Amino acid sequence: MKRFTTSSLPALALLGLVLGGCQPELDQPTASAGSADFSRYIAVGNSLTAGFSDNGLYREGQLNSYPSILAQQFAQVGGGPFVQPLFTEAQSKGSGYVQLLGFTPATATALSSPITGTVAGNGGRSTATSAPYTKFLDPINNLGVPGIRMSDILTPGYGSLAGNPYFERITPDATPLQTYLQRVQATVASIKPTFFTEWLGNNDVLGYATAGGAVASSGITPATTFAVNTSYVLDALTAGGAKGVVATIPDVTNIPFFTAVGPSFRANLDLNKVPTAAPFVYTTGVLAPGQANTRVSTTIASVRDANGTGNLLLTLTASPYVSLYGRPSGKYWRDFYRQATGAAPTGPAFSGFLTAIGVTDTTKGFGQATENPFPSTLVLDGTEQTNVTSATNNFNATLTAAANTRQLAIFDSNAFFRGVAQGGYVTNGVNNTAGFISGNLFSLDGVHPTPRGYAVIANEMMKVINAKYGSSLRQVDANSYRGVLFP
Amino acid sequence: MTVKRLLLAGGALLVGTSAASASGFQVNLNGQKNNGMGGVGVALTLDQAAMFYNPGALAMVRENGVQVGVNAAIARNAFVPESGGGQSSLRNTLVTPANFYAGFGPKEGKWKIGIGAYTPFGSELHYANNWEGRYSLTDINLRAIFAQVTASYAITPQLSVGAGLVMLAYGDVDLQRDVPLSAQSGAPTPHVTLNGKAKQSFGYNAGIYFKPSDQLAVGVSYRSQVDAKIEGGDVRLRDVVYSTGGNFTATQFSATLPLPATASAGIAVMPSEKLTISAEANLVFWNTYRTLDFTFSGNNGYGDRAATPTTPAVTGTPGLLGGSSSSSAKRYYQDALCFRLGAQYKVTDGLTVRAGGFFDQAAVKDGYVTPETPDADRIGLTAGASYEFGKRFGIDASFLFEDFLKRSQTQADLLNNGTTDRVAGTYKTTIAVPGVGLYVKF
Repeated sequence: MKRFTTSSLPALALLGLVLGGCQPELDQPTASAGSADFSRYIAVGNSLTAGFSDNGLYREGQLNSYPSILAQQFAQVGGGPFVQPLFTEAQSKGSGYVQLLGFTPATATALSSPITGTVAGNGGRSTATSAPYTKFLDPINNLGVPGIRMSDILTPGYGSLAGNPYFERITPDATPLQTYLQRVQATVASIKPTFFTEWLGNNDVLGYATAGGAVASSGITPATTFAVNTSYVLDALTAGGAKGVVATIPDVTNIPFFTAVGPSFRANLDLNKVPTAAPFVYTTGVLAPGQANTRVSTTIASVRDANGTGNLLLTLTASPYVSLYGRPSGKYWRDFYRQATGAAPTGPAFSGFLTAIGVTDTTKGFGQATENPFPSTLVLDGTEQTNVTSATNNFNATLTAAANTRQLAIFDSNAFFRGVAQGGYVTNGVNNTAGFISGNLFSLDGVHPTPRGYAVIANEMMKVINAKYGSSLRQVDANSYRGVLFP
Repeated sequence: MTVKRLLLAGGALLVGTSAASASGFQVNLNGQKNNGMGGVGVALTLDQAAMFYNPGALAMVRENGVQVGVNAAIARNAFVPESGGGQSSLRNTLVTPANFYAGFGPKEGKWKIGIGAYTPFGSELHYANNWEGRYSLTDINLRAIFAQVTASYAITPQLSVGAGLVMLAYGDVDLQRDVPLSAQSGAPTPHVTLNGKAKQSFGYNAGIYFKPSDQLAVGVSYRSQVDAKIEGGDVRLRDVVYSTGGNFTATQFSATLPLPATASAGIAVMPSEKLTISAEANLVFWNTYRTLDFTFSGNNGYGDRAATPTTPAVTGTPGLLGGSSSSSAKRYYQDALCFRLGAQYKVTDGLTVRAGGFFDQAAVKDGYVTPETPDADRIGLTAGASYEFGKRFGIDASFLFEDFLKRSQTQADLLNNGTTDRVAGTYKTTIAVPGVGLYVKF
């Protein structure tokens, strides 16, 4: 017994430790570049490429831009340094952005709704004469410029005093009139990229949509312009033989900017026992000072509810005004006047302005009476949605054909965002949706992704890169990137 | 000295936990001698542990006796997410399934009665911090201790029957996961713990043992399902983000976890007095485990908040966890078969050596693997030995090494099954379980 216990038991324990201490190892596919070369990567695009989020461009969003995430994964397979025009730590608030302050308490007659506030940025050129952003003039790999349209890439002086403040920020003082295309060409010539992503074109239709189809200057880019400019930019990018990904543009009618307000407006009316047959009168077409506009008289039932019935989409910018429905209120028109003229909405000038646009009696119920209609700028109606969708499809056909001609990978972001809108997107046990605030993927502006949204986009792009170029890039754990931040 | 220390180890019984070491979260470490023989037992009369494996066989165990045993399960787990991040593993812990049996009866009588306590179900896993599946599960500790009273009767010298009243004497579960919300302040990720004790509940086991000759024995047994019902379990929340507190108001939960029935049949051959070889099959009726449902109740006050200088008073909804008053997760387990083979050889009067192995089929279907039970088909190899002195006292030792086959599930599987509350990837587990026991016969 003694001999047994002294000799065998320690041996057994040792065996247990040896075998038990053996951590199983799983074979992981080695990350590889396949036929692509990721050593020098540049990203071309707009706000989505820059990492715009929460209605602003700020350092956190930049750090979590999809090109930045891609570059980190490329680095595992030979990717080189990737420089973004980051705001400094000291100016980390960038252009300023929106943050969530809380939720209004739900009451018997009103749903809770988010309260947001603005984080002030670092000045930036909000008017032609105000101070510009601090310039970032080192060579950069991320050429994403918030707000840029495909139709803007040939505009001389787009980054000048009167142009785009984000492009101005990265435009060398020596070449103030450089176009975006020239900037791309110059960057290709100096960096000699081996790989690129190109995601331009969203703003060629987004501006029209977010303005409720009501602003002439944000019209949809003509198809021919779009096609010609697409060729220019892709030719520039492939000039040195680089491979890359072309992203299509999503149909924006799926994003929270258009899907959040209508359903909560409808739910609120239900709570207040307002019948769906109640009138809803809105203007359509261009809404501009001095310009008469067309009225559409319909009912509340036309506003799209949470079940997707009704064809009118209300914009996120309608949020402060929907609660005024049915009340004697000229608030929208006063705000509109102030924005359009910069003057206080009083006196004969304001009265004349109202008369000219046909708003004749703001003591009538807002959105209920012809004399005090709901403004076109806050409504994307059926015709306008058709315009958006057909332009999107048209642009995407152009982008796809241009990519195929050049044998590039295609990230069909339209199909991807449609899928998210219909079924959500699961990331490692977490259900994310296209919902506003609750969905994790869209930031507080209802248009641009959160860091998690950008991580998911980067993962989806890596899938198409892997498929096209036989590479095996590793995806990121999207859950490590935040959704909406709650107070 | 050694004996005393081992007895103390046996005292760990009441807090004993178990690693998942049979299909699902069943644990087949219920008799130290059996452990060394691949877990066979239904056709054997090795010792008092027979009351677990086949109460019908207890009457054929010649001596009266008392025994305790304890195992140390050392699990090692690896996980690689489908998306291709790095490998993560467990913050490893040692769990100690244990058992105790005592059997009595008149020396030459036909009756034997027995009492026992053992841990046939359990699981304990602690995943690495920040692993990909942290919003599914970060920690689980599932414990169940059963107590049993048994009566066994030898109808003839060849045939005996027996039955036991089985009680879920102690059960508790502790489940933890992170909540996928982030705070502006950079505060830690909210974390929820569900912790509850099972109500005591009853089941039974029964068996028939038949030994037509000195060279052959067969046995069948059945162990009924026992439901572990938890009512009034604690919901504990950590680091709730203030503005979302209205969705996290619950303080209590209730849930039911079925601990399924098992049917076993086995055969033993004894070609010589020294050698016993036994084979058996177990069928575990896992398909009763369809969904894991939680209902939440209580109000922690988060929903009902008094006004502060900056925020108005809030009247909230009680009993919410993540904005919902209940949750249901699909399990859809399948019945699982296990085949076992084991042998023992009596080397000397004092020393007996054992060896065995088994193949244990996974209860969890493809696309339903959860971090709480990263189940897979398993192969186990065992060895054991007993040393007896003075025909009275003995010590048993056993060792089991269990290898889970690599198990992958894809995001596509999860989407197809509507089981996206878990994480796509590949799991691989191995468990090493040394065990030791003491017995006394009289």
